[in-house]
Amino acid sequence: MITVEHVSFDYHSQPDVLKDVSFTIDKGRWVSILGHNGSGKSTLAKLIVGLLKAKEGSITVDGIVLNEETVYQVRKKVGIVFQNPDNQFVGVTVEDDIAFGMENLCFTREEITKRIDKYAKQVGMEDYLSKEPHQLSGGQKQRVAIAGILAMDTDIIIFDEATSMLDPIGRDEILAFMQQLKHQGKTIITITHDMKEAVLSDEIIDLKEGQLLTHDKTKKVLQDKVTLNKSNLELLPSLKLYHKIKEAGIVNEELRDYLWQLSLQK
Amino acid sequence: MNNIVIGQYIPGSSFLYKMDPRSKILALILLMVTTFVLTDIIQILVLLSVLLVILKLGGIPIGRIVKGLRPIIVLLFFTFTFQVLFIKTGRIILDETLHYSFYTILLAVGVVLFWMITKRFIKFKISYFLMMIVGILSIFMYYPIGDPFAQGQLVIYTGGLQGAFFIMVRLIIIVTLSTILTLTTKPTDLTLGLEQLLKPLSIIKVSAEEIALIISIALRYIPTLLDEANKIMLAQASRGVDFKEGKLKDKVVQIISLLVPMFIISFKRSDELANAMEARNFVPGNRRTRLHILTWQTIDTITIIITAITIPVAILLRVMLG
Ligand SMILES: Nc1ncnc2c1ncn2[C@@H]1O[C@H](COP(=O)(O)OP(=O)(O)O)[C@@H](O)[C@H]1O
Ligand SMILES: [Mg+2]
Repeated sequence: MITVEHVSFDYHSQPDVLKDVSFTIDKGRWVSILGHNGSGKSTLAKLIVGLLKAKEGSITVDGIVLNEETVYQVRKKVGIVFQNPDNQFVGVTVEDDIAFGMENLCFTREEITKRIDKYAKQVGMEDYLSKEPHQLSGGQKQRVAIAGILAMDTDIIIFDEATSMLDPIGRDEILAFMQQLKHQGKTIITITHDMKEAVLSDEIIDLKEGQLLTHDKTKKVLQDKVTLNKSNLELLPSLKLYHKIKEAGIVNEELRDYLWQLSLQK
Repeated sequence: MNNIVIGQYIPGSSFLYKMDPRSKILALILLMVTTFVLTDIIQILVLLSVLLVILKLGGIPIGRIVKGLRPIIVLLFFTFTFQVLFIKTGRIILDETLHYSFYTILLAVGVVLFWMITKRFIKFKISYFLMMIVGILSIFMYYPIGDPFAQGQLVIYTGGLQGAFFIMVRLIIIVTLSTILTLTTKPTDLTLGLEQLLKPLSIIKVSAEEIALIISIALRYIPTLLDEANKIMLAQASRGVDFKEGKLKDKVVQIISLLVPMFIISFKRSDELANAMEARNFVPGNRRTRLHILTWQTIDTITIIITAITIPVAILLRVMLG
Protein backbone atom coordinates (compact mmCIF):
# COMPACT_ATOMS: atom_id res chain seq x y z
CA MET A 1 0.00 0.00 0.00
CA ILE A 2 1.26 3.44 -0.92
CA THR A 3 0.02 6.59 0.75
CA VAL A 4 1.02 9.96 -0.63
CA GLU A 5 -0.02 12.87 1.58
CA HIS A 6 0.13 16.54 0.62
CA VAL A 7 3.34 16.08 -1.33
CA SER A 8 4.93 19.09 -3.01
CA PHE A 9 8.20 19.17 -4.90
CA ASP A 10 10.35 21.52 -6.95
CA TYR A 11 13.69 21.24 -8.76
CA HIS A 12 14.90 24.42 -7.06
CA SER A 13 13.02 26.47 -9.62
CA GLN A 14 9.62 28.11 -9.55
CA PRO A 15 6.90 26.96 -9.79
CA ASP A 16 6.45 23.65 -7.99
CA VAL A 17 6.53 20.55 -10.20
CA LEU A 18 4.11 18.77 -7.83
CA LYS A 19 1.54 20.69 -5.82
CA ASP A 20 -0.11 19.21 -2.75
CA VAL A 21 -0.65 15.74 -4.23
CA SER A 22 -2.46 13.14 -2.10
CA PHE A 23 -3.69 9.65 -2.94
CA THR A 24 -3.68 6.08 -1.71
CA ILE A 25 -2.96 2.97 -3.74
CA ASP A 26 -4.15 -0.28 -2.18
CA LYS A 27 -2.21 -3.52 -2.28
CA GLY A 28 -2.71 -5.60 -5.41
CA ARG A 29 -4.23 -2.75 -7.40
CA TRP A 30 -3.16 -1.69 -10.85
CA VAL A 31 -3.10 2.08 -11.19
CA SER A 32 -2.42 4.15 -14.30
CA ILE A 33 -0.94 7.61 -13.90
CA LEU A 34 -1.84 9.83 -16.84
CA GLY A 35 -0.91 13.38 -17.75
CA HIS A 36 0.76 15.55 -20.37
CA ASN A 37 4.53 15.65 -20.78
CA GLY A 38 6.01 17.64 -17.94
CA SER A 39 3.01 17.19 -15.66
CA GLY A 40 5.23 15.60 -13.02
CA LYS A 41 4.57 11.88 -13.47
CA SER A 42 8.21 10.78 -13.49
CA THR A 43 8.98 13.10 -10.61
CA LEU A 44 6.21 11.43 -8.61
CA ALA A 45 7.63 7.99 -9.40
CA LYS A 46 11.12 9.06 -8.34
CA LEU A 47 9.71 10.45 -5.10
CA ILE A 48 8.06 7.12 -4.31
CA VAL A 49 11.33 5.18 -4.68
CA GLY A 50 13.22 7.86 -2.79
CA LEU A 51 15.39 9.03 -5.69
CA LEU A 52 14.10 12.51 -4.92
CA LYS A 53 13.06 13.99 -1.60
CA ALA A 54 9.69 15.70 -1.17
CA LYS A 55 9.75 19.36 -0.20
CA GLU A 56 6.56 18.97 1.79
CA GLY A 57 4.27 16.13 2.70
CA SER A 58 4.96 12.48 3.37
CA ILE A 59 5.05 9.19 1.49
CA THR A 60 4.33 5.90 3.23
CA VAL A 61 4.99 2.51 1.67
CA ASP A 62 3.60 -0.53 3.46
CA GLY A 63 3.54 1.37 6.70
CA ILE A 64 7.11 2.65 6.37
CA VAL A 65 7.37 6.43 6.27
CA LEU A 66 9.90 7.32 3.60
CA ASN A 67 12.93 9.25 4.85
CA GLU A 68 16.72 9.11 4.57
CA GLU A 69 17.00 6.14 6.91
CA THR A 70 14.12 4.09 5.54
CA VAL A 71 14.80 4.69 1.87
CA TYR A 72 16.75 1.44 1.47
CA GLN A 73 13.94 -0.52 3.12
CA VAL A 74 11.42 1.11 0.82
CA ARG A 75 13.48 0.32 -2.27
CA LYS A 76 13.29 -3.36 -1.35
CA LYS A 77 9.51 -3.06 -1.72
CA VAL A 78 9.29 -0.88 -4.81
CA GLY A 79 10.90 -1.65 -8.14
CA ILE A 80 10.84 0.69 -11.10
CA VAL A 81 11.21 0.11 -14.83
CA PHE A 82 12.24 3.27 -16.64
CA GLN A 83 11.44 4.53 -20.11
CA ASN A 84 14.76 4.17 -21.92
CA PRO A 85 15.77 0.51 -22.23
CA ASP A 86 19.41 1.47 -22.85
CA ASN A 87 19.87 3.65 -19.81
CA GLN A 88 18.91 1.07 -17.21
CA PHE A 89 20.91 -1.89 -18.46
CA VAL A 90 23.74 -2.03 -15.94
CA GLY A 91 25.25 -5.45 -16.56
CA VAL A 92 27.59 -6.41 -19.35
CA THR A 93 25.32 -9.35 -20.19
CA VAL A 94 21.64 -10.21 -19.67
CA GLU A 95 22.57 -12.53 -16.82
CA ASP A 96 24.68 -9.85 -15.11
CA ASP A 97 21.92 -7.32 -15.44
CA ILE A 98 19.25 -9.54 -13.91
CA ALA A 99 21.70 -10.27 -11.09
CA PHE A 100 22.59 -6.63 -10.38
CA GLY A 101 19.78 -5.84 -7.92
CA MET A 102 20.15 -9.18 -6.16
CA GLU A 103 23.90 -8.67 -5.82
CA ASN A 104 23.20 -5.34 -4.15
CA LEU A 105 20.76 -7.01 -1.78
CA CYS A 106 23.47 -9.55 -0.85
CA PHE A 107 21.52 -12.63 -1.92
CA THR A 108 23.60 -15.81 -1.92
CA ARG A 109 25.06 -16.84 -5.24
CA GLU A 110 22.97 -20.02 -5.33
CA GLU A 111 19.84 -17.96 -4.82
CA ILE A 112 20.90 -15.49 -7.51
CA THR A 113 21.53 -18.19 -10.13
CA LYS A 114 18.26 -19.88 -9.26
CA ARG A 115 16.30 -16.67 -9.62
CA ILE A 116 18.07 -15.66 -12.84
CA ASP A 117 16.87 -18.91 -14.40
CA LYS A 118 13.37 -18.56 -13.03
CA TYR A 119 12.74 -14.97 -14.03
CA ALA A 120 14.59 -15.12 -17.33
CA LYS A 121 12.20 -17.91 -18.20
CA GLN A 122 9.22 -15.92 -17.03
CA VAL A 123 10.08 -13.06 -19.37
CA GLY A 124 11.14 -15.41 -22.15
CA MET A 125 14.81 -14.44 -22.16
CA GLU A 126 16.28 -17.74 -21.00
CA ASP A 127 18.08 -18.29 -24.30
CA TYR A 128 19.76 -14.89 -24.17
CA LEU A 129 21.51 -15.03 -20.80
CA SER A 130 25.01 -14.44 -22.16
CA LYS A 131 23.95 -11.88 -24.77
CA GLU A 132 25.10 -8.27 -24.51
CA PRO A 133 22.64 -5.36 -24.60
CA HIS A 134 23.61 -4.20 -28.08
CA GLN A 135 22.59 -7.59 -29.41
CA LEU A 136 19.03 -7.17 -28.07
CA SER A 137 15.96 -5.28 -29.25
CA GLY A 138 14.40 -2.56 -27.13
CA GLY A 139 11.57 -4.86 -26.07
CA GLN A 140 14.01 -7.56 -25.04
CA LYS A 141 16.01 -5.07 -22.97
CA GLN A 142 12.83 -3.97 -21.21
CA ARG A 143 12.00 -7.60 -20.50
CA VAL A 144 15.44 -8.03 -18.96
CA ALA A 145 14.82 -4.93 -16.83
CA ILE A 146 11.51 -6.45 -15.69
CA ALA A 147 13.21 -9.75 -14.85
CA GLY A 148 15.77 -7.81 -12.79
CA ILE A 149 12.98 -6.15 -10.80
CA LEU A 150 10.96 -9.37 -10.41
CA ALA A 151 14.08 -11.15 -9.16
CA MET A 152 14.33 -8.67 -6.29
CA ASP A 153 10.79 -9.72 -5.45
CA THR A 154 9.37 -6.26 -4.80
CA ASP A 155 5.65 -6.06 -3.98
CA ILE A 156 5.19 -2.90 -5.98
CA ILE A 157 6.38 -2.29 -9.53
CA ILE A 158 6.31 1.08 -11.24
CA PHE A 159 6.51 1.25 -15.03
CA ASP A 160 7.50 4.77 -16.07
CA GLU A 161 6.49 4.90 -19.74
CA ALA A 162 8.25 1.57 -20.03
CA THR A 163 6.54 0.78 -23.33
CA SER A 164 6.80 4.18 -25.00
CA MET A 165 10.04 3.43 -26.85
CA LEU A 166 8.95 0.02 -28.06
CA ASP A 167 7.29 -1.14 -31.26
CA PRO A 168 3.69 -2.42 -31.04
CA ILE A 169 4.80 -6.04 -30.65
CA GLY A 170 7.22 -5.19 -27.84
CA ARG A 171 4.49 -3.09 -26.23
CA ASP A 172 1.94 -5.90 -26.28
CA GLU A 173 4.48 -8.29 -24.75
CA ILE A 174 5.10 -5.94 -21.84
CA LEU A 175 1.35 -5.39 -21.39
CA ALA A 176 0.91 -9.15 -21.17
CA PHE A 177 3.51 -9.23 -18.38
CA MET A 178 1.76 -6.50 -16.49
CA GLN A 179 -1.40 -8.61 -16.51
CA GLN A 180 0.54 -11.65 -15.32
CA LEU A 181 2.05 -9.65 -12.49
CA LYS A 182 -1.34 -8.35 -11.48
CA HIS A 183 -2.53 -11.95 -11.20
CA GLN A 184 0.47 -12.73 -9.02
CA GLY A 185 -0.80 -10.13 -6.59
CA LYS A 186 1.74 -7.37 -7.28
CA THR A 187 0.76 -3.75 -6.96
CA ILE A 188 1.34 -2.10 -10.32
CA ILE A 189 1.70 1.56 -11.20
CA THR A 190 1.96 2.33 -14.90
CA ILE A 191 2.77 5.79 -16.13
CA THR A 192 1.49 5.94 -19.67
CA HIS A 193 0.01 7.78 -22.63
CA ASP A 194 -1.29 4.57 -24.07
CA MET A 195 -5.05 4.02 -23.87
CA LYS A 196 -4.60 0.28 -24.23
CA GLU A 197 -2.47 0.27 -21.11
CA ALA A 198 -4.78 2.55 -19.13
CA VAL A 199 -7.87 0.49 -19.96
CA LEU A 200 -6.27 -2.58 -18.40
CA SER A 201 -5.73 -0.90 -15.05
CA ASP A 202 -8.12 -0.80 -12.08
CA GLU A 203 -7.72 2.88 -11.29
CA ILE A 204 -6.67 6.03 -13.07
CA ILE A 205 -4.77 8.95 -11.56
CA ASP A 206 -4.73 12.02 -13.77
CA LEU A 207 -2.09 14.69 -13.22
CA LYS A 208 -2.18 18.16 -14.70
CA GLU A 209 0.64 20.64 -14.17
CA GLY A 210 1.60 18.95 -10.94
CA GLN A 211 -1.89 18.77 -9.51
CA LEU A 212 -4.02 15.70 -9.04
CA LEU A 213 -7.01 16.11 -11.32
CA THR A 214 -8.77 12.78 -10.98
CA HIS A 215 -8.34 9.58 -9.04
CA ASP A 216 -11.04 7.01 -9.59
CA LYS A 217 -11.91 3.56 -10.88
CA THR A 218 -10.94 3.16 -14.52
CA LYS A 219 -14.47 2.23 -15.59
CA LYS A 220 -15.89 5.24 -13.85
CA VAL A 221 -13.40 7.59 -15.45
CA LEU A 222 -14.13 6.13 -18.86
CA GLN A 223 -17.88 6.40 -18.39
CA ASP A 224 -17.82 9.94 -17.08
CA LYS A 225 -17.62 12.34 -20.00
CA VAL A 226 -16.62 15.31 -17.83
CA THR A 227 -13.51 13.81 -16.26
CA LEU A 228 -12.61 12.23 -19.57
CA ASN A 229 -12.62 15.61 -21.26
CA LYS A 230 -10.36 17.03 -18.61
CA SER A 231 -7.82 14.25 -18.97
CA ASN A 232 -5.77 13.97 -22.10
CA LEU A 233 -6.51 10.36 -22.93
CA GLU A 234 -6.38 9.44 -26.56
CA LEU A 235 -9.70 7.56 -26.67
CA LEU A 236 -10.34 4.37 -28.57
CA PRO A 237 -12.81 4.89 -31.47
CA SER A 238 -15.32 2.55 -29.83
CA LEU A 239 -15.29 4.59 -26.63
CA LYS A 240 -15.70 7.83 -28.57
CA LEU A 241 -18.68 6.31 -30.35
CA TYR A 242 -20.10 5.08 -27.05
CA HIS A 243 -20.07 8.61 -25.66
CA LYS A 244 -21.46 10.08 -28.89
CA ILE A 245 -24.40 7.69 -28.80
CA LYS A 246 -25.00 8.40 -25.12
CA GLU A 247 -24.91 12.15 -25.73
CA ALA A 248 -27.30 11.91 -28.67
CA GLY A 249 -29.75 10.16 -26.42
CA ILE A 250 -30.00 7.11 -28.63
CA VAL A 251 -31.36 4.37 -26.43
CA ASN A 252 -30.02 1.12 -27.75
CA GLU A 253 -28.77 -0.71 -24.68
CA GLU A 254 -27.37 -3.58 -26.71
CA LEU A 255 -25.24 -1.36 -28.96
CA ARG A 256 -24.07 0.73 -26.05
CA ASP A 257 -23.05 -2.31 -24.05
CA TYR A 258 -21.30 -3.74 -27.06
CA LEU A 259 -19.26 -0.56 -27.62
CA TRP A 260 -18.44 -0.42 -23.92
CA GLN A 261 -17.18 -3.99 -23.90
CA LEU A 262 -15.18 -3.30 -27.04
CA SER A 263 -13.51 -0.34 -25.34
CA LEU A 264 -12.40 -2.40 -22.40
CA GLN A 265 -10.80 -5.08 -24.49
CA LYS A 266 -7.09 -4.93 -24.89
CA MET B 1 26.01 -1.71 -35.64
CA ASN B 2 25.11 -5.00 -34.10
CA ASN B 3 28.45 -6.63 -34.67
CA ILE B 4 30.76 -4.57 -32.50
CA VAL B 5 32.86 -6.79 -30.35
CA ILE B 6 34.62 -5.31 -27.37
CA GLY B 7 37.97 -6.85 -26.72
CA GLN B 8 39.24 -9.57 -28.94
CA TYR B 9 37.91 -12.57 -27.09
CA ILE B 10 37.42 -15.61 -29.29
CA PRO B 11 35.53 -18.53 -27.74
CA GLY B 12 37.56 -21.67 -27.15
CA SER B 13 38.14 -24.46 -24.68
CA SER B 14 41.89 -25.03 -24.38
CA PHE B 15 43.79 -24.82 -21.09
CA LEU B 16 44.34 -21.11 -21.68
CA TYR B 17 40.58 -20.65 -21.40
CA LYS B 18 40.29 -22.72 -18.25
CA MET B 19 42.86 -20.69 -16.38
CA ASP B 20 41.95 -18.10 -13.79
CA PRO B 21 42.23 -14.57 -15.21
CA ARG B 22 44.25 -13.61 -12.14
CA SER B 23 46.96 -16.15 -12.90
CA LYS B 24 46.94 -15.12 -16.54
CA ILE B 25 47.46 -11.46 -15.66
CA LEU B 26 50.20 -12.33 -13.15
CA ALA B 27 51.93 -14.68 -15.60
CA LEU B 28 51.80 -11.95 -18.23
CA ILE B 29 53.53 -9.50 -15.88
CA LEU B 30 56.15 -12.05 -14.79
CA LEU B 31 57.00 -13.03 -18.35
CA MET B 32 57.25 -9.39 -19.36
CA VAL B 33 59.81 -8.85 -16.62
CA THR B 34 61.75 -11.87 -17.88
CA THR B 35 61.65 -10.50 -21.40
CA PHE B 36 63.23 -7.30 -20.18
CA VAL B 37 65.89 -9.09 -18.16
CA LEU B 38 67.08 -11.20 -21.10
CA THR B 39 69.80 -9.56 -23.20
CA ASP B 40 70.91 -12.42 -25.40
CA ILE B 41 69.43 -12.87 -28.83
CA ILE B 42 69.46 -16.68 -28.65
CA GLN B 43 67.70 -16.73 -25.26
CA ILE B 44 65.00 -14.36 -26.37
CA LEU B 45 64.45 -16.45 -29.49
CA VAL B 46 64.08 -19.50 -27.24
CA LEU B 47 61.44 -17.62 -25.26
CA LEU B 48 59.66 -16.70 -28.49
CA SER B 49 59.62 -20.34 -29.64
CA VAL B 50 58.27 -21.44 -26.26
CA LEU B 51 55.49 -18.89 -26.74
CA LEU B 52 54.77 -20.27 -30.19
CA VAL B 53 54.46 -23.77 -28.72
CA ILE B 54 52.05 -22.44 -26.08
CA LEU B 55 50.03 -20.78 -28.84
CA LYS B 56 49.89 -24.06 -30.73
CA LEU B 57 48.86 -26.04 -27.63
CA GLY B 58 46.37 -23.37 -26.64
CA GLY B 59 44.74 -23.56 -30.05
CA ILE B 60 45.24 -19.88 -30.86
CA PRO B 61 45.54 -19.23 -34.59
CA ILE B 62 48.80 -17.44 -35.32
CA GLY B 63 46.90 -15.10 -37.62
CA ARG B 64 45.18 -13.53 -34.63
CA ILE B 65 48.56 -12.72 -33.08
CA VAL B 66 49.73 -11.11 -36.31
CA LYS B 67 46.53 -9.05 -36.27
CA GLY B 68 47.36 -8.01 -32.72
CA LEU B 69 50.75 -6.80 -33.95
CA ARG B 70 49.23 -4.56 -36.58
CA PRO B 71 48.62 -1.52 -34.35
CA ILE B 72 52.28 -1.42 -33.31
CA ILE B 73 53.75 -1.77 -36.79
CA VAL B 74 54.64 1.93 -36.93
CA LEU B 75 56.32 1.60 -33.56
CA LEU B 76 58.23 -1.48 -34.75
CA PHE B 77 59.34 0.35 -37.90
CA PHE B 78 60.68 3.38 -36.02
CA THR B 79 62.43 1.28 -33.39
CA PHE B 80 64.05 -0.74 -36.12
CA THR B 81 65.20 2.31 -38.07
CA PHE B 82 66.47 4.01 -34.95
CA GLN B 83 68.48 0.98 -33.85
CA VAL B 84 69.93 0.35 -37.31
CA LEU B 85 71.03 3.95 -37.77
CA PHE B 86 72.44 4.72 -34.37
CA ILE B 87 74.12 1.59 -33.02
CA LYS B 88 77.70 1.63 -34.24
CA THR B 89 79.24 -1.62 -33.00
CA GLY B 90 80.42 -4.71 -34.87
CA ARG B 91 81.38 -4.94 -38.50
CA ILE B 92 80.30 -2.50 -41.18
CA ILE B 93 78.02 -4.26 -43.62
CA LEU B 94 76.84 -1.33 -45.68
CA ASP B 95 78.55 1.96 -46.38
CA GLU B 96 77.03 3.98 -49.16
CA THR B 97 77.04 7.63 -50.09
CA LEU B 98 73.65 9.27 -50.58
CA HIS B 99 73.57 11.87 -53.35
CA TYR B 100 71.05 14.62 -52.89
CA SER B 101 70.61 16.46 -56.16
CA PHE B 102 67.66 18.18 -57.79
CA TYR B 103 67.01 15.13 -59.97
CA THR B 104 67.36 12.44 -57.29
CA ILE B 105 65.04 14.36 -54.99
CA LEU B 106 62.57 14.81 -57.86
CA LEU B 107 62.72 11.08 -58.52
CA ALA B 108 62.22 10.28 -54.85
CA VAL B 109 59.21 12.57 -54.66
CA GLY B 110 57.88 10.82 -57.74
CA VAL B 111 58.25 7.45 -56.03
CA VAL B 112 56.43 8.73 -52.94
CA LEU B 113 53.59 10.12 -55.06
CA PHE B 114 53.34 6.87 -56.99
CA TRP B 115 53.20 4.98 -53.70
CA MET B 116 50.50 7.26 -52.30
CA ILE B 117 48.31 6.85 -55.38
CA THR B 118 48.73 3.12 -55.82
CA LYS B 119 48.85 1.94 -52.18
CA ARG B 120 45.10 1.63 -51.90
CA PHE B 121 45.07 -1.01 -54.64
CA ILE B 122 47.84 -3.06 -53.06
CA LYS B 123 46.98 -5.77 -50.60
CA PHE B 124 50.29 -6.05 -48.76
CA LYS B 125 50.49 -2.49 -47.49
CA ILE B 126 53.44 -2.95 -45.15
CA SER B 127 55.67 -4.70 -47.67
CA TYR B 128 54.68 -2.06 -50.20
CA PHE B 129 55.70 0.68 -47.78
CA LEU B 130 59.06 -1.01 -47.17
CA MET B 131 59.56 -1.36 -50.94
CA MET B 132 58.97 2.37 -51.28
CA ILE B 133 61.60 3.14 -48.62
CA VAL B 134 64.13 0.79 -50.26
CA GLY B 135 63.32 2.36 -53.63
CA ILE B 136 64.04 5.87 -52.38
CA LEU B 137 67.30 4.80 -50.72
CA SER B 138 68.49 3.06 -53.91
CA ILE B 139 67.78 6.20 -55.90
CA PHE B 140 69.99 8.25 -53.58
CA MET B 141 72.69 5.57 -53.45
CA TYR B 142 72.92 4.16 -56.95
CA TYR B 143 71.63 6.84 -59.34
CA PRO B 144 73.82 9.88 -58.70
CA ILE B 145 72.35 11.88 -61.60
CA GLY B 146 72.71 15.65 -61.59
CA ASP B 147 75.00 17.79 -59.44
CA PRO B 148 74.58 16.82 -55.79
CA PHE B 149 74.22 19.88 -53.55
CA ALA B 150 74.60 17.72 -50.47
CA GLN B 151 75.82 14.24 -49.63
CA GLY B 152 75.08 11.91 -46.79
CA GLN B 153 76.49 8.65 -45.58
CA LEU B 154 74.43 5.57 -44.80
CA VAL B 155 76.46 3.21 -42.63
CA ILE B 156 74.95 0.06 -41.17
CA TYR B 157 76.79 -2.09 -38.62
CA THR B 158 76.14 -5.70 -37.68
CA GLY B 159 75.55 -4.48 -34.10
CA GLY B 160 72.80 -2.20 -35.37
CA LEU B 161 71.03 -4.99 -37.19
CA GLN B 162 71.35 -7.32 -34.21
CA GLY B 163 70.10 -4.69 -31.79
CA ALA B 164 67.18 -3.86 -34.04
CA PHE B 165 66.28 -7.52 -34.42
CA PHE B 166 66.52 -8.08 -30.67
CA ILE B 167 64.24 -5.18 -29.82
CA MET B 168 61.74 -6.28 -32.45
CA VAL B 169 61.58 -9.77 -31.00
CA ARG B 170 61.17 -8.31 -27.51
CA LEU B 171 58.27 -6.10 -28.63
CA ILE B 172 56.68 -8.99 -30.50
CA ILE B 173 56.88 -11.17 -27.40
CA ILE B 174 55.24 -8.52 -25.24
CA VAL B 175 52.41 -7.93 -27.69
CA THR B 176 51.94 -11.68 -28.17
CA LEU B 177 51.68 -12.16 -24.41
CA SER B 178 49.00 -9.51 -24.01
CA THR B 179 47.18 -10.75 -27.10
CA ILE B 180 47.04 -14.26 -25.62
CA LEU B 181 45.48 -12.76 -22.50
CA THR B 182 42.82 -10.76 -24.33
CA LEU B 183 42.04 -13.50 -26.83
CA THR B 184 41.35 -16.12 -24.18
CA THR B 185 39.73 -14.02 -21.43
CA LYS B 186 36.30 -12.44 -21.58
CA PRO B 187 36.32 -8.70 -20.79
CA THR B 188 34.10 -9.41 -17.78
CA ASP B 189 36.53 -11.99 -16.41
CA LEU B 190 39.44 -9.69 -17.13
CA THR B 191 37.75 -6.93 -15.13
CA LEU B 192 36.98 -9.34 -12.32
CA GLY B 193 40.58 -10.61 -12.27
CA LEU B 194 41.89 -7.08 -12.23
CA GLU B 195 39.53 -6.22 -9.40
CA GLN B 196 40.76 -9.11 -7.28
CA LEU B 197 44.40 -8.29 -7.96
CA LEU B 198 43.85 -4.63 -7.09
CA LYS B 199 42.12 -5.49 -3.79
CA PRO B 200 45.24 -4.84 -1.70
CA LEU B 201 45.07 -1.23 -2.87
CA SER B 202 42.20 -0.69 -0.44
CA ILE B 203 44.93 0.02 2.11
CA ILE B 204 45.62 3.28 0.30
CA LYS B 205 41.87 3.96 -0.04
CA VAL B 206 41.59 2.91 -3.67
CA SER B 207 38.42 0.89 -4.17
CA ALA B 208 39.14 -1.96 -6.57
CA GLU B 209 35.43 -2.71 -6.78
CA GLU B 210 34.61 0.78 -7.93
CA ILE B 211 37.39 0.71 -10.52
CA ALA B 212 36.04 -2.60 -11.80
CA LEU B 213 32.49 -1.24 -11.90
CA ILE B 214 33.65 1.78 -13.86
CA ILE B 215 35.49 -0.43 -16.35
CA SER B 216 32.55 -2.77 -16.80
CA ILE B 217 30.06 0.08 -17.31
CA ALA B 218 32.46 1.65 -19.79
CA LEU B 219 32.70 -1.68 -21.61
CA ARG B 220 28.93 -2.01 -21.61
CA TYR B 221 28.35 1.49 -23.00
CA ILE B 222 31.01 1.62 -25.73
CA PRO B 223 28.77 -0.06 -28.36
CA THR B 224 25.81 2.10 -27.34
CA LEU B 225 27.86 5.28 -27.63
CA LEU B 226 29.36 4.24 -30.96
CA ASP B 227 25.88 3.57 -32.24
CA GLU B 228 24.82 6.98 -31.03
CA ALA B 229 27.84 8.71 -32.62
CA ASN B 230 26.82 7.08 -35.87
CA LYS B 231 23.26 8.37 -35.59
CA ILE B 232 24.43 11.88 -34.75
CA MET B 233 26.79 11.88 -37.72
CA LEU B 234 23.93 10.89 -39.98
CA ALA B 235 21.71 13.55 -38.45
CA GLN B 236 24.39 16.22 -38.85
CA ALA B 237 25.14 15.02 -42.37
CA SER B 238 21.48 15.54 -43.24
CA ARG B 239 21.92 19.12 -42.01
CA GLY B 240 24.84 19.60 -44.37
CA VAL B 241 27.86 18.74 -42.23
CA ASP B 242 30.32 16.83 -44.40
CA PHE B 243 32.34 14.39 -42.30
CA LYS B 244 34.56 13.15 -45.10
CA GLU B 245 36.09 16.21 -46.71
CA GLY B 246 37.29 19.56 -45.54
CA LYS B 247 40.17 21.65 -44.31
CA LEU B 248 41.31 21.79 -40.73
CA LYS B 249 38.76 24.49 -39.90
CA ASP B 250 35.91 22.37 -41.29
CA LYS B 251 37.22 19.35 -39.41
CA VAL B 252 37.02 21.28 -36.14
CA VAL B 253 33.40 22.22 -36.89
CA GLN B 254 32.61 18.59 -37.73
CA ILE B 255 34.12 17.32 -34.51
CA ILE B 256 32.30 19.91 -32.42
CA SER B 257 29.01 19.05 -34.13
CA LEU B 258 29.60 15.47 -33.03
CA LEU B 259 31.06 16.00 -29.57
CA VAL B 260 28.58 18.52 -28.19
CA PRO B 261 25.48 16.35 -28.69
CA MET B 262 27.46 13.29 -27.55
CA PHE B 263 28.35 15.04 -24.29
CA ILE B 264 24.83 16.21 -23.62
CA ILE B 265 23.35 12.79 -24.33
CA SER B 266 26.00 11.07 -22.23
CA PHE B 267 25.26 13.27 -19.24
CA LYS B 268 21.55 12.50 -19.53
CA ARG B 269 22.39 8.83 -19.88
CA SER B 270 24.64 8.72 -16.85
CA ASP B 271 22.01 10.53 -14.81
CA GLU B 272 19.34 8.00 -15.78
CA LEU B 273 21.73 5.08 -15.27
CA ALA B 274 22.62 6.33 -11.81
CA ASN B 275 18.88 6.51 -10.99
CA ALA B 276 18.31 3.00 -12.30
CA MET B 277 21.25 1.65 -10.27
CA GLU B 278 20.14 3.36 -7.08
CA ALA B 279 16.56 2.23 -7.54
CA ARG B 280 17.91 -1.30 -7.73
CA ASN B 281 19.46 -0.93 -4.30
CA PHE B 282 22.96 -0.02 -5.34
CA VAL B 283 24.82 1.90 -2.65
CA PRO B 284 28.41 2.85 -3.52
CA GLY B 285 30.88 1.23 -1.15
CA ASN B 286 28.42 -1.25 0.28
CA ARG B 287 29.19 -4.95 0.35
CA ARG B 288 27.53 -6.90 -2.44
CA THR B 289 27.55 -10.53 -3.48
CA ARG B 290 29.05 -11.30 -6.83
CA LEU B 291 27.43 -13.57 -9.35
CA HIS B 292 30.75 -14.48 -10.90
CA ILE B 293 33.60 -15.74 -8.81
CA LEU B 294 37.01 -16.89 -9.90
CA THR B 295 38.33 -20.35 -9.18
CA TRP B 296 42.03 -20.91 -8.74
CA GLN B 297 43.10 -24.35 -9.90
CA THR B 298 46.29 -26.39 -9.85
CA ILE B 299 47.13 -25.28 -13.36
CA ASP B 300 47.16 -21.68 -12.13
CA THR B 301 49.60 -22.44 -9.32
CA ILE B 302 51.84 -24.36 -11.74
CA THR B 303 51.73 -21.51 -14.23
CA ILE B 304 52.70 -18.94 -11.63
CA ILE B 305 55.56 -21.10 -10.32
CA ILE B 306 56.97 -21.71 -13.79
CA THR B 307 56.68 -18.10 -14.93
CA ALA B 308 58.11 -16.86 -11.64
CA ILE B 309 61.11 -19.16 -11.99
CA THR B 310 61.95 -17.69 -15.40
CA ILE B 311 62.95 -14.41 -13.75
CA PRO B 312 65.80 -15.72 -11.53
CA VAL B 313 66.88 -17.99 -14.40
CA ALA B 314 67.05 -14.99 -16.73
CA ILE B 315 69.02 -13.00 -14.15
CA LEU B 316 71.39 -15.91 -13.64
CA LEU B 317 71.95 -16.27 -17.38
CA ARG B 318 72.61 -12.58 -17.69
CA VAL B 319 75.14 -12.57 -14.84
CA MET B 320 76.89 -15.74 -16.06
CA LEU B 321 77.21 -14.50 -19.61
CA GLY B 322 78.49 -11.18 -18.33
N1 LIG C 1 16.27 16.95 -13.23
C1 LIG C 1 15.44 17.99 -13.43
N2 LIG C 1 15.86 19.25 -13.18
C2 LIG C 1 15.02 20.30 -13.37
N3 LIG C 1 13.77 20.21 -13.81
C3 LIG C 1 13.29 18.98 -14.08
C4 LIG C 1 14.11 17.81 -13.93
N4 LIG C 1 13.37 16.72 -14.28
C5 LIG C 1 12.17 17.20 -14.65
N5 LIG C 1 12.11 18.54 -14.54
C6 LIG C 1 10.94 19.39 -14.84
O1 LIG C 1 9.90 18.98 -14.02
C7 LIG C 1 8.67 18.94 -14.70
C8 LIG C 1 8.04 17.56 -14.58
O2 LIG C 1 8.87 16.61 -15.20
P1 LIG C 1 8.53 15.05 -15.22
O3 LIG C 1 8.22 14.62 -13.87
O4 LIG C 1 9.65 14.40 -15.92
O5 LIG C 1 7.22 15.05 -16.13
P2 LIG C 1 6.53 13.82 -16.89
O6 LIG C 1 7.21 12.57 -16.49
O7 LIG C 1 5.10 13.90 -16.49
O8 LIG C 1 6.69 14.12 -18.35
C9 LIG C 1 8.97 19.33 -16.13
O9 LIG C 1 8.62 20.68 -16.31
C10 LIG C 1 10.45 19.17 -16.25
O10 LIG C 1 10.98 20.12 -17.12
MG1 LIG D 1 8.30 11.14 -17.64
